[in-house]
Amino acid sequence: MSRRYAIASESSVIVYFGTTIDPLISQEVQKAYQALKAKAQEGFYEIIPSYASLMVSYDVMRFDFDVVCEIIENSIHQAEALTLSEPKIITIPVYYGREVGLDLELLAQEKNLSVEEIIALHVKGLYTVYAIGFAPGFAYLGEIDERLATSRLATPRKAVPKGSVSIADRQTAVYPTQSPGGWKVLGRTPTAMFDASYDGLSLLHVGDHVRYESISKEEFLKLGGEL
Amino acid sequence: MNGFIVENGGLQSSIQDAGRRGFSDIGLTQSGAMDEMAFGYANFLVGNTFNTPAIEIAMGGASFKARSEMCIAICGANMQPTCNGHSIALWQTHPLRRGDVIAFGFANEGQFAYIAVAGGFQTPFAYGSYSTSLKEGLGGLEGRKLKTGDLLHTFGNRCPVDRRKLERKFIPKYPETITVRLVKGYQEAMFDAASQEIFFNSVYTFKGEGDRMGYRLSGEKVVPTHTGILSEPICYGAVQVPSHGEPIVLLKERQTIGGYPKIGSVIAVDCFKLAQLKAGGNVKFKEVSLKEAQRVMRAFYTFFKAQEA
Repeated sequence: MSRRYAIASESSVIVYFGTTIDPLISQEVQKAYQALKAKAQEGFYEIIPSYASLMVSYDVMRFDFDVVCEIIENSIHQAEALTLSEPKIITIPVYYGREVGLDLELLAQEKNLSVEEIIALHVKGLYTVYAIGFAPGFAYLGEIDERLATSRLATPRKAVPKGSVSIADRQTAVYPTQSPGGWKVLGRTPTAMFDASYDGLSLLHVGDHVRYESISKEEFLKLGGEL
Repeated sequence: MNGFIVENGGLQSSIQDAGRRGFSDIGLTQSGAMDEMAFGYANFLVGNTFNTPAIEIAMGGASFKARSEMCIAICGANMQPTCNGHSIALWQTHPLRRGDVIAFGFANEGQFAYIAVAGGFQTPFAYGSYSTSLKEGLGGLEGRKLKTGDLLHTFGNRCPVDRRKLERKFIPKYPETITVRLVKGYQEAMFDAASQEIFFNSVYTFKGEGDRMGYRLSGEKVVPTHTGILSEPICYGAVQVPSHGEPIVLLKERQTIGGYPKIGSVIAVDCFKLAQLKAGGNVKFKEVSLKEAQRVMRAFYTFFKAQEA
């Protein structure tokens, strides 16, 4: 598949693998990301993957644009010969109680489903981490069942509680810390998404697979969850 | 103890170095000094290497008391600094004695001032940098702005260099109207000829809508052919245009990915100038080639690296 290289700035290049959310395109991005990370090219100081693109920020004291593109292209080409390493599957426990699932009722009305049906649809998916951004450890997971697909809140919340498990469009994500946000909140996890003690700091990395597991209020509290 | 005690943190003072690298793939912002030029000169004047943590004072109002002999330099915005009530000059080294109080008023020129201390501040190092990311609450001193009572330890108290004063011609100016150079890229194709004509020929005003994350500019609207794109990585200086049609230049504490069309990126050296623009200031964009942009960037970092030798 052909890739398109574009200038992002005088010290960054962005590589486009496609223009849509597509598991196959995402896999290509992940391969390139893994290959470039593993290569640890000195002077490539950021390698950021997203849904269908990847950006490399480089040291202009060492490289010019064409050389960087060539190094990236060669790394990707070599990586194509390899199968992507088996994705890690991470299970995130979620308490879907009404007191933490701030938008469960709203969504139930909007979708003409019961709260139980919403939870069941959210739990049954196996999701892929397409990108990380917005905040440290904020992982964009896709894709949720289309029966749950929903718009963002008309007025974003000033403070979405830490650990809130949320959805928007056909994506789902956990808020790693309390922050402003407009995604609809279905529940809360006691698991930290970002922690200095984690290897790699973030619980999730691009390419990982994620499952949500419904837990009771007692389990949530036992695991250190806060209401 | 060697170092400063913060008597007043002012509006927003924080510890910054040149920024954090290598963590954007897990969502950490770059952070770092908003104006690397003033930051670089401050370190140069006290004999530090370029990437030594310094205090960044935004807008002003801060004061610090020396707990030991030390040697400092203040560069950047002019906040009428004083030492024990007497004016002191920017852009040169000042030896301090124990008990000296350095105080800042509010900026009449520029937005950010830097205090570098010979030897550097001995503040916590987190995720590859001393920089504070205020939005994320990470790095620096507990991820927050400085407040009364904070202790900022320093390494040593000697000045490794003779007193230094920057040549007048090297002192940056912070005029009310600036021209920033931009390398076209990203979704430039989503900005048709008419839009680009508007963009490069308009004078935009910075009304103060901005912070360390980025500055929104007001003026003639530019309409991209698409209102949104699939979220993608964002680099320093990227100029995004949301549906309101007014450009936003993304700076040190920008989000790492986002979904608005971008016409290109303001070159780093001009982002430093833009950072110093006060509310009410004007901005014009000028296109430069990638080659020229890289030449400017190399010249900037070569200058500061050469000073270290």
